[in-house]
Amino acid sequence: MADLGQDDIIICEGVKKWFGDFQALTGVTTRIKEQEVVVVIGPSGSGKSTFIRCINRLEAHQEGTIVVDGIELTNDLRNIEKIRAEVGMVFQQFNLFPHLTVLDNVTLAPLWVRKTPKGESDAQAMQLLERVGIPEQAEKYPGQLSGGQQQRVAIARALAMNPKIMLFDEPTSALDPEMIKEVLDVMKELAQSGMTMIVVTHEMGFAREVADRVLFFDYGTIVEEGTPEHFFTSPEHDRTKLFLSQIL
Amino acid sequence: MAVEVQQRHQRPPLWRDVTVLKWAAQLVVLAVVAAILWILGTTGAGNIDDRGLTFGWRWLTDPPGISIREGIDLLPDSGSRAMLVGIVNMLRVTVSGIIVATILGTIIGIARLSKNWIVNKTANVYIETIRNTPLLVQIFFWAALLRLFDEPLEADIGVKWLHISSKGLAIPWIRPDIGFWQWLVFVVVGLYFARVMYRRRIRHLEESGEEAYAFTYAAGTVLLFALVGWFAHPLMAFLGPVWGGIASFFGALPTWVVQAVLAVGALGIAGWWIKRFLDGLRTPAGLAKLTDDDIFRIVFASLAGVIFAALFIVQGGISNLVLDGMRNLFEFFDGKFGAAEGGLRTGLPLRWSRPFVEVTGANFFQYGSGGIVITGGFFAIWVGVTLYTASFIAEVVRAGILAVVRGQTEAASALGLRRSQSLRLVILPQAFRIILPPLGNQYLNLAKNTSLGIAVSYPEIVLVGQTLYNQTGQTLPVVLFWMVFYLSVSLILSSIVNYYNRKLQLVER
Repeated sequence: MADLGQDDIIICEGVKKWFGDFQALTGVTTRIKEQEVVVVIGPSGSGKSTFIRCINRLEAHQEGTIVVDGIELTNDLRNIEKIRAEVGMVFQQFNLFPHLTVLDNVTLAPLWVRKTPKGESDAQAMQLLERVGIPEQAEKYPGQLSGGQQQRVAIARALAMNPKIMLFDEPTSALDPEMIKEVLDVMKELAQSGMTMIVVTHEMGFAREVADRVLFFDYGTIVEEGTPEHFFTSPEHDRTKLFLSQIL
Repeated sequence: MAVEVQQRHQRPPLWRDVTVLKWAAQLVVLAVVAAILWILGTTGAGNIDDRGLTFGWRWLTDPPGISIREGIDLLPDSGSRAMLVGIVNMLRVTVSGIIVATILGTIIGIARLSKNWIVNKTANVYIETIRNTPLLVQIFFWAALLRLFDEPLEADIGVKWLHISSKGLAIPWIRPDIGFWQWLVFVVVGLYFARVMYRRRIRHLEESGEEAYAFTYAAGTVLLFALVGWFAHPLMAFLGPVWGGIASFFGALPTWVVQAVLAVGALGIAGWWIKRFLDGLRTPAGLAKLTDDDIFRIVFASLAGVIFAALFIVQGGISNLVLDGMRNLFEFFDGKFGAAEGGLRTGLPLRWSRPFVEVTGANFFQYGSGGIVITGGFFAIWVGVTLYTASFIAEVVRAGILAVVRGQTEAASALGLRRSQSLRLVILPQAFRIILPPLGNQYLNLAKNTSLGIAVSYPEIVLVGQTLYNQTGQTLPVVLFWMVFYLSVSLILSSIVNYYNRKLQLVER
């Protein structure tokens, strides 16, 4: 899978992470190429969320190396800020800023981090809101929107920084079934446009249809990886087989 | 089938009808409250008569024959003037205490969340110590602390920069001088333009994305006006006759006009409240159906309006009081503008005043009128209520910050916002909404706790009032005066807090 080459945008080598005496990551090694869509699945508590939260250093890993877009993640604050501006993230609970309008949510980071003029960032935000299909909600507050709409705003907010990589942490797990599709559609469109994406999800349909590669996590490490085809039709590992038999 | 339906449409018996029960409950409560007030009133009046006391307000105008330790007037010529001295003293503690307690409390509250062990524990010890000892004990402690210093002695006589003794802490102060009020006009106008300038710079920031230094520009504008006014304030002398004209207008105004205006105002406020209330119930589909509670509120509001209007018409004294107040106010302004004794009013607006120790009588050393003296009483009550309230505010601030969910910080960091930006743009605006209502409670507590000043002989309104009723025997009127005063302060404070609270409410569905 991960062959050599200049286009590896994320490189993880033996990444380990402890919460107190609980080891959440037990040595994750993988490479992700530009424009690749990687879906991460696995049982709860298997470390998949912790893994992607390490990539933009919402959690600090304790052993191993993570290199994102040629910058190694260390305690150097400048590198962390640089990487966070390049890596967008979408959360399970949306985490929109409830005291700001939808438009202000989207323009906040461009205004304060990229120092984009207000007029320019407003125009860009409106384009993004159109792309996710809710331009008419721009002046409303997050509390006035449905869950699906909020999650689409969250995607637009992350895209406003023109990130090279997008991380999705169970983006549809807090949504009503009828709203899952509208969010997945936006993500599919994003994948087709060539965005590098890492998606933690339980939506197997999405994995099958959109993913270039599937990573199966358990006990804090990658147990099995492969194309969706390989993964859903002929999994090799017993743990993978058990997991798939329980959810499919 | 048909019979059943008919039964359902039958009127229920009165004692099972929710509408009737609701109205009955409201009226019963109203009647009980009125009855209790009436019984208290008549019993009280009877007791006062039996003891040969009189209930009256003469003490407000009579010379009180008391002297007050500190304040704007040490030998007031009327009871109301004495109470005013007490009120000003109380407000001095309250206003400065609220400001300092807020700043201190916020810092300690944030320190309490610090990951630095020493900072965290220091804040913790502060909070737990101050919060868990009675305020009165703390006030006695601070008073005792100042008494550890010596009395001023003969060797201390002279002008000082700073002097501390058992009589207090004397520091230099800035005092308004002859041109102060004329200069103040410049500053007020400057504040207005500073606001205009501030908004302009913010717009510039939003349009261009350049650093706008909005605050610096605004502060500069005020300073510029203050500087120009420092020399040009005699230009404002023309306002003197204007104030004088307004004062004589109020002097010439017949009482019945004020009575009419106040009565119409009371009715107008009631009408405005009802209209706003009804507007609030209006939906796109038209006026929502009124519930019994809504009707009760409307009836109550109109009743209150009518009662106040009647009160203003029957009690002409209220209108006279308003008229006198306005006339006195503008006469006061008149005296501060235009010609002064000895020609034009050209002196400086402010002057530097330094404290000095002087000797009175045979061998009694004390601070003179220069600078400002933080007396033992003021020091004890001020430090006491400020530190005490700050410890509660710290907990409120901590709770407010913790109540903003973790995801908000994470989302802000994930977007690349720096920690300071995320605190300023995301966390604090949300924490502030949560903090505001309990913060208002703490402000009210501080205001009410200033009454403990009586324990260290600080002449705030309670001590002054007590001295007055010891002289005149008018206990009940003085107590009523206190209650109305504290109620007004509390209502004003809480309406300010509520106003901001409403403005900051999160918009939900």
